[in-house]
Amino acid sequence: MTYFALSNLVIIATNLPMAIFLFLNSQRKSAGERLAFLCIAAVVWGLGSFQYSTAKSADDAIRWWQVANVGSIFSTVFFYYFIVRFLNLHKPKLNFVINFFVCLSLFLNFFVPGTFIGEVRFVFEQMYYLYWPIDQFSVYLAYYIGFFFILLFYSFYLLVQNYLQAVMARKQQMKYLLLGMATGFIGCHACFVPVFGFDIYPYLNILIAFYTIPIGYAIAKYRFLDTSFVLTRGGIFLCVYTLVLGVPVWIGFRLLGSGVWLVPVLIMAIFATIGPFIYLFIQKRAEDALLTEQRQYQATLRQASLGMGQIKDLKRLLNLIVHVVTRAVKIENCKIFLRHEDSSRYVMKAMKGVSSGKGGYNYLDFDSPLVKYFKQMKEPLVYEEIKQRLYDSGGAGLHEIEQTLRRMGAALVVPSFIEQKLIAIISLGKKRSGKMYSHDDLAVFSILANQSALAIENAQFYEDMQRTHVQLLKAEKMATVGTMADGLSHQINNRLHAMGFIAGDLIDTIQFGKKKNGISDDSKEILNELEVGLNRIQENVKHGGEIVGGLLRYTRKGEQGFTAVEFGKLLDSAFEMAQFKIKVNLLEVERHFDGKLPDIKGNFTQLQEVFFNLIDNAYDAMMQRKEELAEEGYQPKLDIFARQVGQKMEILIQDNGMGVKESDMHKLFTPFFTTKATSEKGTGLGLYVIRQIIEDNHGGKVNFSSKYKIGSETQLILPLAVETLG
Amino acid sequence: MSKLLIVDDESDIREFAKSFFKKRGIDVFTAGCGKEALESADNDAPELILLDITMPDMSGVEVLKTLRERGNDVKVIMVTGIENEETVNEANSWGIRGYIHKPLILEELEKIVLAELNGS
Repeated sequence: MTYFALSNLVIIATNLPMAIFLFLNSQRKSAGERLAFLCIAAVVWGLGSFQYSTAKSADDAIRWWQVANVGSIFSTVFFYYFIVRFLNLHKPKLNFVINFFVCLSLFLNFFVPGTFIGEVRFVFEQMYYLYWPIDQFSVYLAYYIGFFFILLFYSFYLLVQNYLQAVMARKQQMKYLLLGMATGFIGCHACFVPVFGFDIYPYLNILIAFYTIPIGYAIAKYRFLDTSFVLTRGGIFLCVYTLVLGVPVWIGFRLLGSGVWLVPVLIMAIFATIGPFIYLFIQKRAEDALLTEQRQYQATLRQASLGMGQIKDLKRLLNLIVHVVTRAVKIENCKIFLRHEDSSRYVMKAMKGVSSGKGGYNYLDFDSPLVKYFKQMKEPLVYEEIKQRLYDSGGAGLHEIEQTLRRMGAALVVPSFIEQKLIAIISLGKKRSGKMYSHDDLAVFSILANQSALAIENAQFYEDMQRTHVQLLKAEKMATVGTMADGLSHQINNRLHAMGFIAGDLIDTIQFGKKKNGISDDSKEILNELEVGLNRIQENVKHGGEIVGGLLRYTRKGEQGFTAVEFGKLLDSAFEMAQFKIKVNLLEVERHFDGKLPDIKGNFTQLQEVFFNLIDNAYDAMMQRKEELAEEGYQPKLDIFARQVGQKMEILIQDNGMGVKESDMHKLFTPFFTTKATSEKGTGLGLYVIRQIIEDNHGGKVNFSSKYKIGSETQLILPLAVETLG
Repeated sequence: MSKLLIVDDESDIREFAKSFFKKRGIDVFTAGCGKEALESADNDAPELILLDITMPDMSGVEVLKTLRERGNDVKVIMVTGIENEETVNEANSWGIRGYIHKPLILEELEKIVLAELNGS
């Protein structure tokens, strides 16, 4: 077999699988599909060329030249169509002209002898080659120059023109296209040189086999590394294998002639053995040289990933991540958006560098397109890739993602997962070098992101634990205060009692004194004043006693049994208790019930605690609204409804406070969860205690409903003291 | 003359209450602890005892209990501070006229005491 015949087999062997792959992976009428047709054209060329190069007679060769011509006609045309589709150009008029010429040339090729198909001549002592000497006019030459060449150069012109305007990923992609196309067409046109009478052996035919490699690469993958990197790899691959396969064949055919196979086979064997090693060795060296910088920061990031788990302070951890990434990779900016359950958002918690994004997002909602995308795809997202896909397909949904990334000023966004949970989103700006993020980069960032997720969760857990610890301490402190309050109240009560007695006795003495004769008016005046003052003291003693009593009831959880409780009185005492903590007079309280209510069966002190907590919560919610929303004319209002429903009492406490976000609702009855603005205000025990008292102790029911920024309603169902008839 | 025993560990309370009720022609005895209270109850035979619950040596309820066990059915008004209902209930079961909460204004106490003494 001749070299030329062999090269044609290689063409078929590479182009056919490529065509199948592209057909399977491309949409109808896409650039990919047109590229598949181009590959088919190459296969046709390879098939025709193989056959005429091995034809035994001139007649056979002519027939196969007709086939080969079909391949060459279509390859030019499909190349053009591919470029037009790839560049999203619309040239319907030109399409018409081209289609006309295609039909014409096919017609001439098959049915008009002497135009496309004429004489063949035996060349290179091995095959029959089409012969249209350049010094004689021929339709074929005119066609070749006037149509193929012009169309080819026009296609290249379009590609180059767009290449110069393109940026980033697309530019990289087009670089591969140019490379591939140039390779293919140099190979193709090298075969026509002998047609026009120049006896140069068509060695370069083999290039038609390999042009698909860079193109396929560029089509299949949008994001790209450095061209130099792939070029080096491809170049080395080509060089090594041309040597390994080419040299023995060349030696076999050129020097020793057919039949003497020992030497070339031996040489081939040697080369084939050492070839891959040489290839790998050179490749590694070349990559190392090309990617030194990249390798360096990748190592830094890997190391940083490992150290992250040690940091327990969340803020420090996040700052470290953005700092390391920005420094090591030399990028414009880096941000971390952290999952925040309470607000159903990813909130930016750390940032380094200057953002080129306009406005700059500080948060991403859980239902934003980007977050949804991550939940589905779980892999890093390159801005250029999105832009590219948008360009290609105008895909719905991508537009919003593209916009989001642009505003974030992100060139690459990496999701940070723990199992199915998206913990954080790391946004990276452009590299200062202007280089693209490579596949290796993405892999390293994915590792970094996932390590970050673990470290972040670790730190969050630690923080949570500390917070719970603080709250526990607080609860404990409360309990201590409660115990202390007992003793303290006793002491204070005794002092007050004594003071009251002293004042009372003195008043008594004064009153006796005033009744005596012979007291001057002046003295009477003085005695009167003293009496007024002592009465004040008595009033203060009374009030002080009430305060102590209220405090005591507050700190003391009811340990007594169940009695009939009058709701009105219960509410009074709860308000009485509440006044030590809140400013009750700021509220407008309306009671929607009359005195005919039946009594509740319950523990007075426990229920008092419940209503105290409800009033307290409502008050805080209303104050929060007042502060946060600062609405004009806002009046905190507490409505209290009570009515008998069957054998139960239904009580509704409605406030027009801040309300609770839907995302927080499910946590309301969890101990230590507080929505109160500062954790100073609440211990987070309120609703938990209420539920325990009402449901566990009283066999009642608590329902809580709330609308954010509108208000909340608590419904309590409690048993009645005496079962009423009817 | 009616006899009143005031039992309280606070000397100020004893002193001023005594002064107050003396002016109303009541014979007032005072006791600063449970032991003194029991002695006075035996020796002075008061008609009414104002009995503070919380005291250093023994509680008012214990004093009451001892009195009743000794067969003394003197009228007793318990003076409670912060004691819980259980204590009050226990005192109740030993037979008391009622209880008053500290702090109490003398004027109010006067009404109660006079009503009790005159009623006898």
